[in-house]
Amino acid sequence: MSVKLDYANLNVPSKWRNLPPPPGFSSSSTGSSKGTSKSSTAVTASQEALKEKRAWDVAIAPAKSLPMQAFMLYMSGGGVQIFSMGIVFMLLFSPFKNLASTNAAFASFAPAKSDANSLSTLPLQKIVYFLCNMLTLALGLWKCRQMGLLPTGTGDWLAFETRASPPEIFLH
Amino acid sequence: MRALQLCLLVVLGFFPAVFALHESEAGVVDWHKPLIGVPLTYSHSLSPTLHRFSAGRLRKSTQSIILTATEANVLAAVNPVDGELVWRFAFEPEDPIVSYRAHGDVVCVLSGPGGSTFRTFETANGNLIAERRLHKPSFGRLFEPVDLGVHMSFVDSNFTNLSPTTDLFVLTDGYTVRRLDSGSGRIKWEWSAEDQGSLVVYSRIARTSSAVYVIGLAKSFASYTLHVHALSPSTGEVISNAHIPSSIYNGLTDFLLISDATKEDDTPHIVWLEKGSMRHIMLTPQLNEKSLVIKGVTYKSILNIGLNERGYFVALKDDGAARVMRIDAEGTRVNPAFEFPESESSDRYSDSLYAGGLDKDGIPHIGRVYWTHVFQTAGAQIFSPLSAHGKGMITGFTFPFATNLHGIIHHIAFDAAQPAETVVLGRFVLTTGTGAVQLWQQDKVQWTREESLSEIKVTEMIELPEKKTVTSHINVENETMSARLSRQLLDMKFPSYLISFVKRFATGSYASVSTSAAAEGDSAESLFRDEFGFRKVIVAATGRGNVFGIDSGNGAILWSRILGLGVAAERGGHHVPFKMFVTKTVSDGETPRVALVTQRLSKSGLVDAVVFNLDALTGEDVLGKSSTHDVLNGEEVVPGEILDVFMLENDRTIVLVDKYLQIHLYPDNKETRTTFESLASKLHFPLKATDRILGHQISPKPRAISGKFNAYSTWTMALPAGEEILSQFSPPSEPIASFGKVLGDRRTLYKYLNPAITGLITTSRGTEQPTCGLYVVDGGKGTVLYHAVLPSVNGACNIKAAMAENWLVYIYYDDEISSAVQAKGYRAVSVEFYEGKQINDKTRSSEASIYSNTSANVQIYQQGFVFPYEVTTMTTSKTKFGIATKDLIVANRRGQIQTLPRRIFDPRRPKGKPTTEEQEEMLFQYDPLIPDDSRRVISHNYKFARIDRIITSPAVLESTSLVFAYGLDLFSSRIAPSKTFDVLNENFNKAQLVLTIGGLAAAIMIARPRVKRKRLMERWYHSQ
Repeated sequence: MSVKLDYANLNVPSKWRNLPPPPGFSSSSTGSSKGTSKSSTAVTASQEALKEKRAWDVAIAPAKSLPMQAFMLYMSGGGVQIFSMGIVFMLLFSPFKNLASTNAAFASFAPAKSDANSLSTLPLQKIVYFLCNMLTLALGLWKCRQMGLLPTGTGDWLAFETRASPPEIFLH
Repeated sequence: MRALQLCLLVVLGFFPAVFALHESEAGVVDWHKPLIGVPLTYSHSLSPTLHRFSAGRLRKSTQSIILTATEANVLAAVNPVDGELVWRFAFEPEDPIVSYRAHGDVVCVLSGPGGSTFRTFETANGNLIAERRLHKPSFGRLFEPVDLGVHMSFVDSNFTNLSPTTDLFVLTDGYTVRRLDSGSGRIKWEWSAEDQGSLVVYSRIARTSSAVYVIGLAKSFASYTLHVHALSPSTGEVISNAHIPSSIYNGLTDFLLISDATKEDDTPHIVWLEKGSMRHIMLTPQLNEKSLVIKGVTYKSILNIGLNERGYFVALKDDGAARVMRIDAEGTRVNPAFEFPESESSDRYSDSLYAGGLDKDGIPHIGRVYWTHVFQTAGAQIFSPLSAHGKGMITGFTFPFATNLHGIIHHIAFDAAQPAETVVLGRFVLTTGTGAVQLWQQDKVQWTREESLSEIKVTEMIELPEKKTVTSHINVENETMSARLSRQLLDMKFPSYLISFVKRFATGSYASVSTSAAAEGDSAESLFRDEFGFRKVIVAATGRGNVFGIDSGNGAILWSRILGLGVAAERGGHHVPFKMFVTKTVSDGETPRVALVTQRLSKSGLVDAVVFNLDALTGEDVLGKSSTHDVLNGEEVVPGEILDVFMLENDRTIVLVDKYLQIHLYPDNKETRTTFESLASKLHFPLKATDRILGHQISPKPRAISGKFNAYSTWTMALPAGEEILSQFSPPSEPIASFGKVLGDRRTLYKYLNPAITGLITTSRGTEQPTCGLYVVDGGKGTVLYHAVLPSVNGACNIKAAMAENWLVYIYYDDEISSAVQAKGYRAVSVEFYEGKQINDKTRSSEASIYSNTSANVQIYQQGFVFPYEVTTMTTSKTKFGIATKDLIVANRRGQIQTLPRRIFDPRRPKGKPTTEEQEEMLFQYDPLIPDDSRRVISHNYKFARIDRIITSPAVLESTSLVFAYGLDLFSSRIAPSKTFDVLNENFNKAQLVLTIGGLAAAIMIARPRVKRKRLMERWYHSQ
């Protein structure tokens, strides 16, 4: 079995928790060694809260960038050009990329006791994250539609249409 | 300065690619063959003549020219040396040529009823010198033949003294004589017979220095008597007039007027036949001479050989033997001079043709041409009356006239050269039964003009097979592995392929779209398709009963065949080409074939439908029933009149409908019958009557007695009372690339693509105000999809219409003005048909049947435009897959062919500034006037006299459409309506591309090891 170093998790596995600190190292800034066990629970709780807060930040990050992206879309214009296409592709692909790596994005904020790689950890944040990404995607699709890239009209399917010849034969 | 030049270059570079034909392409991508029409042969004043006139510097040398009036109402001059057209003048149809006369440097022509218009042309170049209306055409008397009652005679008819312009006496309308100045057409005096209402019709003028004689025929019981007026040449006063006791039975041919203009004291004689005896009378101003009889022999007819002003003519004896007659030296008597040997009627020879001609020194010679049935060759004899010290000399020869290609000889014109005292060389201009004009110098044919091509009735352009590399595999099945490998390696010809590739690449000698499609060398030998399929065979059937195969690359005639008359050959008759079908194409893996359906009208009044089956590349009879050197034998399929002919697309069986509505199949065998029976109940076709269209279907089973299928009528679309169908048109069957038109908002207008659609142009004369009509009818069930009532110009309906897919364009003349801001002029209307009642409506496959209720739902968009000129014919371009846009190709009255882009004719062009959505559809603002863009003239500076029809045919390149126009001119070119998008531009910088790729490859080769080394160094020294 290979040893895996998990730097992402602040809750260091208990194997090294009971080791004495190196000489001259004080475990807390306020500094008494007596209150270690008492204060450590408080620290853990505050860290948990901090992680949750950070997880919410990550969850709504795509929504935060929406105004910026909308502005970029506006600036790139309605024509089908290399810039507008680049932005539209980014808008269309980044939600899927983000959603595919949802667990990785939230792994570092997973509560200590839970499995960081499970979908069920931080469910609320993940749902919000999903919705925000959908918003980005919707923005991309809206732009595609504006540019006439969505095959919504009958004209877009005209090339695939076939016609059966009439059952009668007309002689000229 | 340099900067300015640079600026200019940049600006010029931004100019859009011009559609126009480049000067360098003229004559390379196109060709033009001006024709003159088949020469008229029934009258001496219209038929071909060889005319000699002084030419060159100081007017010392002389030059001869062939002049003729033709069936196409053209006066033409052809160079006898090479047969090239020197000039031609096309008269309007309502102004027929009735007589022409050449004299030195001028050719004078009378045209119109009774000779109403007088024109003078320069002989050398056809410049119109003078034109004068002599009487109103509507007052002119119509004669049969047209040149009766019309005659011209030059005052100065002495050959040796040719003044540039001279006066001439002109007889018109059978009773008026004028003295005109040929250079200006000014009338010096005019005389009209007093008794214009009488039965005397004057038909000839003879002039001497002392009097002008006007000779007419007065109708009496059963015969004609001669009547002569003698007029003063300077004032036109009547000196005397007299009735000459005579009785002429055939007023047209049995009298003629001879004189010897070379003599100073010229005395004309009238010669006529009276009950087999020839009489003549000398004309003097007092008209007091008595007529004399030429005794001894009875004559059958007298022939004018064009030397009647030199005192010669030919008389045929009772047994057909031809005598040359002349005025004697004293000018008082007419005597036989010579009798042509073996000229009597015989079953060994055909009847002979006689013609007189002058040599360079003005000495007359008389030529005779006949066909010998025994030797199957044409014979010629030349009689030179002044040779051999005035005793006369005869020379003769035979020449190999190709009767299998040109039919029989109808007319000869003749002149001669006498290089030595005893040598006479003859030059014959033959007009043949197939409309060919040939010049034979002794026994060598110098050139042939196939003038029947001016009467093309049906034509098809046929794709040529690809050139195949020769593969001769002997024993392919039994060869060993190693043998096969080595053979295939040899077949690959790798080094030579590589060499040719490198050569092609380096020199850039690719097949280019602007190169000539004609093959180098002998074109008949290498009948293969060129790279882009620009070369095709045009198979054309003419009204003269012959078929031609023409190379579309250069207009050369590859083969020609005469349509045999079959059983009607005995009585005579002619073929009227009906339709032509391509029965085998190159894609069938065989040589292409065509089937020509004609109606054979025999002299006995019988009508048959005949099918000729031809190999399109060689003109050979596919069934092998007729030999290469004989006329083509057709197959009589219907013994009677046919109403229409169709071809079934699947097995290419030809279906003929006779007037009893019986169906005849060609080829008629068990296989085609079974196929036809399986299809019979599905077939629908409309037949046209004068005032209605009748839809027809075919009985599913053949009649028990005749074994033939019968058609029966299912519906009738009757026009309003008094309205008649003038012509019918329908869109060509061609591949359809797209079923609809996408709008700016990406909705679709689905094209109305009914395969049964047909159009009618009608006229209604019954009403007080004559109008014209245009109908578009569903030929499957008779629904009128579109109807327009158009103004008629003086009762005529000159409406031109063209249709392609769902697009109809028609052009008419609008002379109705309802307000001051309107103007008379030509109008073009563009109509587009779309399916359903609104946008996005479409016909489902299940609704494609004619019995579906929705199939008559059609939306129509239409828009009118002002058209800049009169159009004689128009069509649309046709490409292989129908992807390239369609151009309208029009032939206009100015003798040009022009293309007009479809975009101009879009009926949905917005009236205001186009919105973004409309811009997306490439619509631009409506402008009522169709621009007359001279850059879009594809006919270069060729001047067409008359274009009757234009046909288009796809090339192998999708972008390009081949155009063939015929009428009095033949013209072929190619057009690329969407530009040649499928071929690399010729200006494409290949060197730059190669250099760029080569440079990049070199850069990669240099950079790659260096980058590799650098990466390695980085790993060692910088990354931990």
